Amino acid sequence: MDLIKPNTRINFVGKMGKAVVLSTVLILISLGSLVYHKGPNWGVEFTGGTEIHIKLTKDVSIANIKKTLGDVGYPPDEVQRLGLQGDNEYLIRFSTELVKFDQIQTFQKKLESIMQSNAEFRGGSILRVDYIGPKVGKELIEKAIFSILLGCVGILIYVMIRFEFSFAIGAVLALVHDTIITIGAISITDKEFTLAIVAALLTVIGYSVNDTIIIFDRIRENMKRSEKPSFKEIVNEAVNQTLSRTILTAVTVFLVLVPLFLLGGSVIHDFAFTLLVGVIIGTYSSIFVASAIVIYWRKRKGKAA
Amino acid sequence: MRASKGWLLTIVVITVLSVILLMPTFLGDSLPGWWGKLFPDRGIRLGLDLRGGIFLLIGVDSDAAVDHELTGIKDFTTSELKNDKVLVKGADIQGRDLTMQFFSKADLDKAVKIADDNYSDRADIDDSGLSLTFVLKESYLVDVRNRAIDQVKQVIENRVHELGLVEPSIQKAGADRILIQVPGASEKDRQRIIDIIKRSAVLEFKIVKDTGPNEETLLAKYNVTKPDELAAQNLELYPGDTGNENEKYFITTSEAHVTGESLSDARLIFDEFGRPAVGFNFKGEGASKFGELTENNIGNRLAIVLDGTVKSAPTIQERITSQGRITGSFTPEEAKDLALVLRSGALPVPVNIEQERTVGPSLGKDSIEKGRLSMIVGGVLVIIFMVFFYRLQGLVADLALALNMLFIMGFLSAFGVTLTLPGIAGLVLTLGMAVDGNIIIFERIKEELRVGKSPLAAIDAGYGRSLWTVLDANITTLITALILFWFGTGPIKGFAATLSIGIISTVFSNVVVARVFTNYIYQDKKVTALSI
Repeated sequence: MDLIKPNTRINFVGKMGKAVVLSTVLILISLGSLVYHKGPNWGVEFTGGTEIHIKLTKDVSIANIKKTLGDVGYPPDEVQRLGLQGDNEYLIRFSTELVKFDQIQTFQKKLESIMQSNAEFRGGSILRVDYIGPKVGKELIEKAIFSILLGCVGILIYVMIRFEFSFAIGAVLALVHDTIITIGAISITDKEFTLAIVAALLTVIGYSVNDTIIIFDRIRENMKRSEKPSFKEIVNEAVNQTLSRTILTAVTVFLVLVPLFLLGGSVIHDFAFTLLVGVIIGTYSSIFVASAIVIYWRKRKGKAA
Repeated sequence: MRASKGWLLTIVVITVLSVILLMPTFLGDSLPGWWGKLFPDRGIRLGLDLRGGIFLLIGVDSDAAVDHELTGIKDFTTSELKNDKVLVKGADIQGRDLTMQFFSKADLDKAVKIADDNYSDRADIDDSGLSLTFVLKESYLVDVRNRAIDQVKQVIENRVHELGLVEPSIQKAGADRILIQVPGASEKDRQRIIDIIKRSAVLEFKIVKDTGPNEETLLAKYNVTKPDELAAQNLELYPGDTGNENEKYFITTSEAHVTGESLSDARLIFDEFGRPAVGFNFKGEGASKFGELTENNIGNRLAIVLDGTVKSAPTIQERITSQGRITGSFTPEEAKDLALVLRSGALPVPVNIEQERTVGPSLGKDSIEKGRLSMIVGGVLVIIFMVFFYRLQGLVADLALALNMLFIMGFLSAFGVTLTLPGIAGLVLTLGMAVDGNIIIFERIKEELRVGKSPLAAIDAGYGRSLWTVLDANITTLITALILFWFGTGPIKGFAATLSIGIISTVFSNVVVARVFTNYIYQDKKVTALSI
């Protein structure tokens, strides 16, 4: 069975101008959202503070939770829904200034008694309590940024060794592109930026590079052939030759990510969301962005286009 | 086309190994007794986020250890000089430096001699004017800090193990942290664990000089306004917690003749009124020192100071050598835990809790169930898709995928990787990514068929030409996974480990397992068309 008819020649390279516009718009929206939201919505792991994950038996409004907790002397910094609507799971967050480590126990006791007495909260349970001191948080942010940067450098070096410099630039800029837009999507939907999201981002980076490398690999193979069309044509042919694989793999990954997103539970939900967005953007960038950068870079360096 | 016997054997061996390694995971306690003697009986470990439990990251104040070290040098030098009838003018500790001032050059020279004789191996000693400076050497500094964290770890280990919880794990994390994980601990255990860990448990025995209901009047009796100023009279002020309203504060001798280090045992006892108390025994030298202290102070009151608070202050009736007790307003539980921390020794430096995570058991169970469900749904969808799209070759890919999953679980078990929630997500993702290699190869085979190659030649060319494509694509992903493993902590490390193992096993399944199966299908046959 063929997904794409053999000898299909879609002019991807010709559409790269439009892709540049689209990517620029997406990046600007992402950066705009980050500026508007004053940076990512850092999870408690990064900012330090206390996070309490509860499950209630019915849907309670966020305002109501805030008010009820405020009434017993613990106004939370933020209350957020987790998972899907029917899960009735919430995340209550306090900054380190609001609730010190020693107070958590007292707060938990208060919360438990609310869950017995208050009609709206009755039957609820505390699923998880996280306390993170400010020192650890700062270190984790540094580590997260460092590991993403190091990931980029590692890939840059590997691609440089296996291919040539212009390809490495293409691969790395494409993954920077993917990372910014994926972070943008997290920011727009106002999801919490947690350690698990960092892991998801690194996976997206891995996926995006994986996708890009397969096209690059074909470009390199085509360049070795005896007949020498222009570099643009070689790129276009390679993208077309690998197109069915690109789409098929994206489909199989979707086949597992969508169940994970819908059925994986509240904790995995945002993680799966990040991967879904990342895979879409990663697939798009492998086709339109990475190769465009290689073409541009080679032209700038005076190599035949 | 012949199938390679060597590879087939390899696949069979790995499959059998994986099954053996996974038996404990799936069968658990129903495994026969002889199994544990022949094979590993530990299956895949589940992380705290899946089992529920407590995760604590403790920061160790290793600066305090450096401070103690310098104070030790200061005290030793001062007492040595005292024997030489030399008085120290003043001393000051800052960071890793100790500066001592003297009244005359002759005094300084004597001090320099003592310093050179005793401390030249661990500190740079310098004198200028009338002062002497010790600067701890870098290597010794590292040593002091490491020793402090090792001691803290040892003490915490003793304490946590004595609580009798299941499988607590205590590890060093980085240069100055200790990670404590107690799977399956309940909410009730949580507070106990935290209390027990944070408690310094510094026990000192001093002699009471005075008591009073409030700080100011008590200090005024000694013509001072601040507690620190009592040091000149060799006295110290402590808050009291003896239950007596008129004895909210104590003034005691500053020298502690005997400390908790001399205890050989501590346990929960009940006093003559049936109240819970902690009874303790002294060992060796501690017993004779305590005997001496009590003998010289018959009629005086003994201050039992625990973590900077006078817990009880009994009047000394007679010389006591072997044992004593701490009474106070304890519940039996508190007295038991206090005895426990006294037995396991004092923390050499203060600690504080930098991170805590308590996961209720229901969240973990829920996560496992949902993870399993999404894995099954995703897996079935991929399997159906591959057969639908690639027919017989799709079936080959599915078979390879099934073995791949078996290998990954087997490896997770073999390497003792802790499976965390993001780890499960990583496994699900691997399921989707695993067939990528097959897709690359199959698409290539189709291309080769199109340019007119015979079916078997197309298979050869497809696998051959795709090898480096598959490798390149996976090595780059492996780089990011390894970096995550290197820098990640807790659940993230588990995710990275799962991903790394998944990538390696996947490449093997794509380029070896699927190939061997394909060869077996077509070997010694005349093939005119491929089902792909």
